[in-house]
Amino acid sequence: MDVKTLTGTHNYFEDFNVGDVFEHARGKTVTEFDNVILTNLVLNTAQIHFNEHLTATLPYKSRLVFGGVTAALVIGLAMQDTGENALAELGLDEVRFRAPVFHGDTLYAFSEVLDKNEAPANVPSNFEAGEVRFRHWGINQNNEIVFEAVRRVLIKKRPR
Amino acid sequence: MIHEFQKKAKKLPKGHYYEDFTVGYVFQHHWGRTINEGDNSLFSTATLSFNPLYFNAEYARAHGHPQVVVNPMLVFLVVFGLTVEDLSEAGGLFLGVDKLTFHRPVYPCDTLYARSTVIDKRESSKYPTSGIVTWHTEGFNQRDELVIDFRRTNLIPKRKKP
Repeated sequence: MDVKTLTGTHNYFEDFNVGDVFEHARGKTVTEFDNVILTNLVLNTAQIHFNEHLTATLPYKSRLVFGGVTAALVIGLAMQDTGENALAELGLDEVRFRAPVFHGDTLYAFSEVLDKNEAPANVPSNFEAGEVRFRHWGINQNNEIVFEAVRRVLIKKRPR
Repeated sequence: MIHEFQKKAKKLPKGHYYEDFTVGYVFQHHWGRTINEGDNSLFSTATLSFNPLYFNAEYARAHGHPQVVVNPMLVFLVVFGLTVEDLSEAGGLFLGVDKLTFHRPVYPCDTLYARSTVIDKRESSKYPTSGIVTWHTEGFNQRDELVIDFRRTNLIPKRKKP
């Protein structure tokens, strides 16, 4: 199997231009399954994400989606376009939760190319790659921003 | 109606409050967690995290890895999850994460541990019954190698005055 044929051809390091803003094609409705299974899978013990009887007594009246799940979903929605050809995820910064997310909300992702670095320090020797820094936004079905973050990714250059 | 056992029961609370945090205190968090391939596949597909490094072993090997790579967002969330009882289970808004670095790849069968240091606490003018606490959390593998670190900030409730 030639692994080059397994991923897209439009999202190598060379394809990103500083200032580009992308609207990612797919949205995802955050189901009860997504939030509760992922919250419990990662051992997050905060009941506000999985005890509906408790949360009925709290200001929001229902379970809140764990911010980590919101972050993973928004970055996931952006992944094919901004990380399908990545060698490594390098880091996140300025991660902010602007509005609560509830079961049944639908999330969409947008990304901006903030900058690019041709020669980062830690590229494995057998690949050519560069670092791209993105700003990501997650919005809900009412066009409210629920999530923002800056993400650094090591992305392969186009194979010759 | 209250059952007999309920009259005798002593509630076992979980979590810490604003007053419990001292800048410089280090929490060595409970449990640890071995990440398996099922965790990684479920997480990567449920979050639409479409980089084949996370779900195609042949592709991962062609990129210098011994097997599939654990999704870095799963590494982040597991290390975060291990900290919750000590740091934020008592409630309060999750305000944000800064300066998160993924230091090295994690593979299925690796075991993650978490440790956090209280680095800041301050009053909140907007929420007088809570305060704002920031921790530096570090995640390690079974060889004590640092795999991730980040700074997390939460609103944390104060203990209710009697």
